Amino acid sequence: MTPARQRLLFISLIVMGLIFVVFFGVRFVHTFREFNGHRPRHFSQLQSAPAETDVTLIRDWMTIGYLSHAYQLPPDLLYEALNIPPNGNEHKSLKQLNKKYYPEAPGIVVEKVKAAILANQPPQSPLTPDTPGPPATAIPPVKP
Amino acid sequence: MTDFLLTQIINYGTPILGAIVFIGAIGAPFPGTLIVIAAGAFSKQGILPWATTGLIALTCVVLGDSLSYGMGYYARDRILQRFQNSKRWAQAESTFYRWGGMSVFWTRFLITGIAVPVNLIAGTSDFRFRRFILYDLIGECIWIFGYGGLGYLFGNQWEVVSNFLGNVSGLALGLLLLVAGIVLAVRWLKATQLKTNS
Repeated sequence: MTPARQRLLFISLIVMGLIFVVFFGVRFVHTFREFNGHRPRHFSQLQSAPAETDVTLIRDWMTIGYLSHAYQLPPDLLYEALNIPPNGNEHKSLKQLNKKYYPEAPGIVVEKVKAAILANQPPQSPLTPDTPGPPATAIPPVKP
Repeated sequence: MTDFLLTQIINYGTPILGAIVFIGAIGAPFPGTLIVIAAGAFSKQGILPWATTGLIALTCVVLGDSLSYGMGYYARDRILQRFQNSKRWAQAESTFYRWGGMSVFWTRFLITGIAVPVNLIAGTSDFRFRRFILYDLIGECIWIFGYGGLGYLFGNQWEVVSNFLGNVSGLALGLLLLVAGIVLAVRWLKATQLKTNS
């Protein structure tokens, strides 16, 4: 390899390296902040998979079957909400269902599914077992 | 592509996951790390059986890596015909023999973007298959069970984990390119200085 080519090679490597480092470095810092805010579930909670409740996690690649499993709701309820038959649609993603049944309204299937899940979720108890109760000293003793 | 693959995994389960990691290991540009982390989360939800899924995915990815090593191995004759008398080829081969194990190991889970070229180079060079498979197996165990385990641990937050690890991988590749460039630059400067002194 000629010296000129060698020079071209190391300059290209350094430039590409710098571009990668800056680009992914910035993204790394952003995602680190996001990642740092999340914690894995406690080990005792790992043994059982509780029903999902957060509808913001619904994506258009998900299927009705998957959502029914994750949110522990009967699939027929979701098909009814979308006003579509279950037969032939078991393996279709929400995006595919949207394209097939509501081509004029992009994103409507996700919205309808979110609404149906929210409407059919069991009511949340105000105090979960993990929520600490008020301290014992917070209530002043009642004087006779 | 990613959305399509995720839908297929939740529809058809472990066999599709195995096929994806196998095809990814022979060079298809699939988002393998994201898929493995998602599979961990699906195992947590009870969609995939974690032990079977892990073992099948590990077997498939190691088979894929072995196949791409084999492609390099069978292309060796053609490459040697061209570079047999090249001093640089011999130098590159001995360098890979020295550092090849670590290259195979780290590219299984951290710098996954260059895993397939490393497999091909390992097959083409004098790097023994037994050594390759040892480093490959250890690295892929970290990829499948470590990354998949993170998906399992973080459950529905797997997308955050995947974004984070994707950026770690890109950053590592950038640092690798930068270090390689600096090493070559230092060598070039030394050679130029020697020339001017003599």
